[in-house]
Amino acid sequence: MIASRALGVTLLVALATTPALAHHTGVYTPKDNAITENFKQVKFSAQARKFDVALRLYDAGPLRAEMRARAAALPDALETRVRAALLAHDAAEAERGLAVFFVALARDLAREADRQLAAGAAPSTTGPRFLEAIWRYYNLADFVVGQRDARASVAMRLAYDDAETLARPASGAPDAARLRASFARLAQILSDLVETTTPLRRNS
Amino acid sequence: MISPPTATWRLPPRGVLLAAVLLLVAAELGGAGMGRYKVELARWARTGMLAHPGAHGLVGVRDVDERVLDEALFRFDAGLRLFHMHAEGMALVVIATTTVASTLARSPAVRRVLILLLTVGGVGYPLGYLVWSALIPAYGVERSKAIAEYLLWIPFGGATIVALLWLAALTAARVVRR
Repeated sequence: MIASRALGVTLLVALATTPALAHHTGVYTPKDNAITENFKQVKFSAQARKFDVALRLYDAGPLRAEMRARAAALPDALETRVRAALLAHDAAEAERGLAVFFVALARDLAREADRQLAAGAAPSTTGPRFLEAIWRYYNLADFVVGQRDARASVAMRLAYDDAETLARPASGAPDAARLRASFARLAQILSDLVETTTPLRRNS
Repeated sequence: MISPPTATWRLPPRGVLLAAVLLLVAAELGGAGMGRYKVELARWARTGMLAHPGAHGLVGVRDVDERVLDEALFRFDAGLRLFHMHAEGMALVVIATTTVASTLARSPAVRRVLILLLTVGGVGYPLGYLVWSALIPAYGVERSKAIAEYLLWIPFGGATIVALLWLAALTAARVVRR
């Protein structure tokens, strides 16, 4: 009787401490947003040498609209340079221009994260959220960056890993000051990449 | 060669059957509602999420927040779907297990406790998914999951598991004693 009661109590305690993970709550797979989806459409069309399709998708899609909306923060006439590359059937140049755009988006996110942390935002939430968004954009440009400047690509990856470690420490809360410095480093690397990767600069 | 059972099946109390059928009704209404009001439900959830930015860790930057909102909406929808599926399944589980308990438990006290645990646990557990979904807009994915966990999933799911283990032991004992 005592043994069965003990077994019952043990079972109840085990059940009561079961983590939420034990319940089926679905698996979320992040989706592309309208801009990254349009980028992939344009990129793959251009790589398949279907430049008429790529140009149509670029002209009508949200990617170009976003490039226009953010023109002030981008290298001069980036959006028109990408279009010119598509018209000239130059897939590599078009892809490079789009890579610059995504690097610039990631850079702006790093700067915004730094600004929000300086304004007192919670580093435990702000850090991981921004890092995730930065990587989502940078990841689209990394192949092009790696082809042109492997050292910059490695530097970016290392800086990102450092920031990840600081944003999600094994114990305790993230150090806001160190995390800010980490975002500033990311912003600097990405800013340099915008400068060095911008296409057709020599001709402009 | 297994000999045929000597006892006939006994029905569980009608209240148990009513609870199970009502759970099935709720499951089907939930499924139908999800299909009919999919857009409205998503809009309601999104409005609630935007009204509680702190609960979702929104930072006010579209490129960051859209991913967070998308995941929260996915969880909201998943909660409704899981309620629909679990309610359908658990209603049948309640009917089946309480029928076994009614037939095999000889002691009236044991039979009553087993049927109570199986019914309350089986009906209460799926409601956890509904509560989880409903709380996501205001409390965020993780906090609402914790609330559903401690209010519904652990007590009712625990009751079902304990009762099922007990029923399994009881059934095994009846097989051995035969």
